[in-house]
Amino acid sequence: MVFNLLLTGVGGEGVLFTSVIIARAANLEGYEIRGTQLHGLAQRGGQIPTHLRFGKDVFSPTIPRGEADLILGLEPVEAARSCYFASKKRTGFVVDTYSIVPIYTMLHKEKYPELEEIKKLIAPFAKKAVYVNASNICDDKLGDAIFGNTMSIGVAVSAGLLPLKKNSIIESIKYSSGKYAEKNVQAFRMGLEYKEV
Amino acid sequence: MKNPDVLEKAGKKVVLLGNEAIARGAIESGIGFSACYPGTPSSEVGITFGDIARDAGFYFEWSTNEKVAFEACAGASFCGVRTLTALKHFGLNVASDSVFPVAYVGVYGSLVINVADDPFGHSSGQSEEDTRRFARVGNIPMIEPSNTQECKDFTKIAFDMSEKYQIPVFLRTTTMVAHSVGTVKLGPIKKPKTTGKFVKNYERYACIRPILQNMHERILKKTADIEKEYGSKLNRVEGDTKSRTGILASGVSWQYAKELELNNIKLGKLGMTFPISKKFISDFIKDLDTLIVLEELEPIIEDFVRGIAKDVNPGLKIHGKDILPRVGEYSTELIQERTCPLLGIKKPGFRKQDTLIKKIKSRLPTRKAVLCPGCPHRSTFFAVKAVLGDKPVYAGDVGCYILGLFEPFHTQDFIFSMGASMGVTHGIRKVSDQKAVIFIGDSTFFHNGMPGLVNLRYNDPDVLVVIMDNNITAMTGHEPHPGTGRTAMGEPREPVKIEDVVRGMGIKNVRVVNAFNQKELQKAVKELTSKHGVNVIVSRGMCRLLFKKMMKRKGQQLPVFEIDPKNKKNLSVIDRFACPAFVKKSGKYIIDPDRCWGCSVCSQITPPGAIKPKIIKKGDKKHHGV
Repeated sequence: MVFNLLLTGVGGEGVLFTSVIIARAANLEGYEIRGTQLHGLAQRGGQIPTHLRFGKDVFSPTIPRGEADLILGLEPVEAARSCYFASKKRTGFVVDTYSIVPIYTMLHKEKYPELEEIKKLIAPFAKKAVYVNASNICDDKLGDAIFGNTMSIGVAVSAGLLPLKKNSIIESIKYSSGKYAEKNVQAFRMGLEYKEV
Repeated sequence: MKNPDVLEKAGKKVVLLGNEAIARGAIESGIGFSACYPGTPSSEVGITFGDIARDAGFYFEWSTNEKVAFEACAGASFCGVRTLTALKHFGLNVASDSVFPVAYVGVYGSLVINVADDPFGHSSGQSEEDTRRFARVGNIPMIEPSNTQECKDFTKIAFDMSEKYQIPVFLRTTTMVAHSVGTVKLGPIKKPKTTGKFVKNYERYACIRPILQNMHERILKKTADIEKEYGSKLNRVEGDTKSRTGILASGVSWQYAKELELNNIKLGKLGMTFPISKKFISDFIKDLDTLIVLEELEPIIEDFVRGIAKDVNPGLKIHGKDILPRVGEYSTELIQERTCPLLGIKKPGFRKQDTLIKKIKSRLPTRKAVLCPGCPHRSTFFAVKAVLGDKPVYAGDVGCYILGLFEPFHTQDFIFSMGASMGVTHGIRKVSDQKAVIFIGDSTFFHNGMPGLVNLRYNDPDVLVVIMDNNITAMTGHEPHPGTGRTAMGEPREPVKIEDVVRGMGIKNVRVVNAFNQKELQKAVKELTSKHGVNVIVSRGMCRLLFKKMMKRKGQQLPVFEIDPKNKKNLSVIDRFACPAFVKKSGKYIIDPDRCWGCSVCSQITPPGAIKPKIIKKGDKKHHGV
C-alpha cells in the first residue's frame, strides 16, 4: 500500500517545511518515501504543489492522477486547483481557509471565489473535506499565522485522513523546527483537538 | 533550509532531496574542492555544500559563472584533489568551452560534472535542452540516476570512474530527479584530501597538434573501456526476461515504468547513457518482437537502438517518439495512456473528471509567480516606466526580474541567456534609432554582463543600463556573489563594487541610487536618458526577502503601511505598481498587513498622506488577513 499526499499552497506559506515534517515522520515509522519539492522562482508567490508518497514499493515521485489519499491545502483556491489528483472514492481534503488573493485578480479583473463556491467545486472530488481557519486561529493563539501549517497536520490526523502516529509527527516537528519547536508542537496539538463548527 | 540529515551517520536511513543526496555522495567520496554557480534545478547541491563544507572539512565557493567554477574544479583536480561542480543545462553551455579541452587533457583527482536538465521548464525559460547530446559532442561519459538513493550511489560511481579513467564524468539529472525526495541509506563519509600539487607536464596539458590527435585517440579509448567496464554494472534487466515485449528506460522514466507494475514485460534500465553499451542493448533486444523506449526529450537511446537492431534483430518493432512526446515531461499516466494498446494494460478513463476539472479551472483566478512585496525591482521598473513609458526597447536578462515580462510592467521585451541583454541591445541600437534600456541584476552582471558592457562602452551606442543590485543571487535561493561581501563558507570579504567596475571600463555617467527612493530614481532616469553614449544607473536595494529573513533572525519586525481610512484620493496608480500586499475589495484598495514588507514605495507614488506607516500600539491585536 502506498499513501499519496499532495501538499499545496502559495510560495512563502511554508509548503516545503510542512512536507519535510511529514516526510521525516513517515521515515521514523520505517516507510519508503518518494516525492517532489520544486524550488526556485515558483517560490515567489506562485503555486507550489508538493507530492509526498510513502509505503512499501513506491516508485514514481509524483502521484498518478486521481490517486491522492490526502490533499492538504494551505490555501483554498490552490486546494481546488489540485482536484486533478483527487477522486471521490479515495481523497480526503484538509483546507486552511485563509485565502491569499493573487495580484492578477486585481489586474485581470478576475473574481476570487467565495469559500462556499470553492467547497462546491471540491465536493465531487472528496470523500471527506475538512475546512479549518488554521492560520487565523494560530495567529490569535500563537502570534503567527505560519503555525497554521502544523495545526493543519493535526487536523488531518484527528480526522483520520493521515495514517501517521502522533508521536512520530511530534518527534519530527521537534527535530525540524529549531527554536520554534514548542509552538509548532502546540499548533499540532490544537489541530488534534480541533472540532469543526 | 539547512538539512542536518545530510551529515548523519553511515547506515542510517534519512529523507533527502535528490540534490542533497548528490552532496552526500560527494562527501562519501572524499570531495576536497567544489565551485559552482547556482542554477535551478541544480542549485541545492551547492547550497548544501555551502551549509556543510566547513564542518565536513572541504572547500566550497560560489564562483562568478559556471565556466570559472568548472575551470577552478579542473585546476584542483590537476593537483590530485577530488572535485565536483553542479550546474544546470544552460550552465553547461557556458562552461562547455573549457569542458571539452579538459576532457581531452584528462584529470587527476576526480572531476564530476553534475548537470541538471529541466524538461517542461519548471525553472528555466530558455529551451528544453537535452544535455545528453553534450556527452556525445565531447566524448565524455554520462551516468543517470533515477531516484534519490541512486543520486547518492551514482555520485560515488562517478567519482571512482573519473579518477580511474582520468576523465571528467557527467552525472545527469532532470528536475524530477534533482528535486525529488526519497529515502536514502547512508554510507560512510570519507575524510577529504584538500591539498595537492600541480606537476608540470607540457606534453600533457598542451591541446595543440600533433598531440591533439593523440588526445582524441586516447579519449575514444577511455570511453570504449568505460563502455566495457560499466555497461554491465550500471544497466540491468528486471521483469519477465522471457517476454517478447520489452521496455527500455532511463532516468525518472524508469520510476514511472516501475509504477505501472509491468511484471510480465521485460524491463531494461539504462544507468549509463553515454557510452551506451552495445552488448547490453544487443542482448536485451535479441529475442524481442516489440520494444518501447522511455526517455524524456530527444530520441537518443531510441536512435542508438535502431542502429543496433539493423544487425541484431531487423524485424524488431521499435516505439518511442512515435507514441510519446519530445516536448515536456513524462508521467505515469501519460506512459500508461500511450502504451496501453501495445502492453495490453488498462487505459485510464477520466472523461467525467475532465469536464469537472475544466469547470474548476474556469472558476479559479490566475496565479503566477510575482515579485515579492517590497521587491526593489518593482520600484526600479515603476520609476523607469513612469519616466520613459512603453516606447523604449526594454532589454531583459536572467534573474527574478524576468517577472517584469508580465503585466503591468512589460519591462522585459526579450530574455535569452545570462548577460545577453548587453549584446542584443547593442545590435538593435546600431541599426535602429529606438531608445533602449537594459535591465540586468548584480549577479548576472558579474556572471556574463561585464564583457557585453565593455563592448557597449567601446562601440558607444546611446543606451541606458540599469544594474539592479540587490546584494545577492536571489532567484536561486540567496547565494552570495562578489558584491555581497561574504563567501559561501561565511567568511567576510571586501565586496567588489559594481560602480567601481563600471567606472573602470571608462564609463563616465554612472549614478548610484537608492532603489526604494522614487524621487532619486526618476531623477536619475530623466537625466541619464538625455545624455549620449552608455549611461549606467546602479539601483541599489537589498532583496526584501533576504532583508525580511535578517530582521526575523534579529527578532525585529518590518514596518507595515496602511491606507488612511479617510482617504478620498484616487489610488489607481496601485494597479501599475502591482504589489501583492494590495487587495481590492468592493472597489476599495486594502493593504494586507501580513503581506506588507514595509518598503514604503507605495506611499511615495500615491497622493501625499494617502498611505502611511501603521503605528502599532502595544497590546494591539494584529488583524490577520483581509
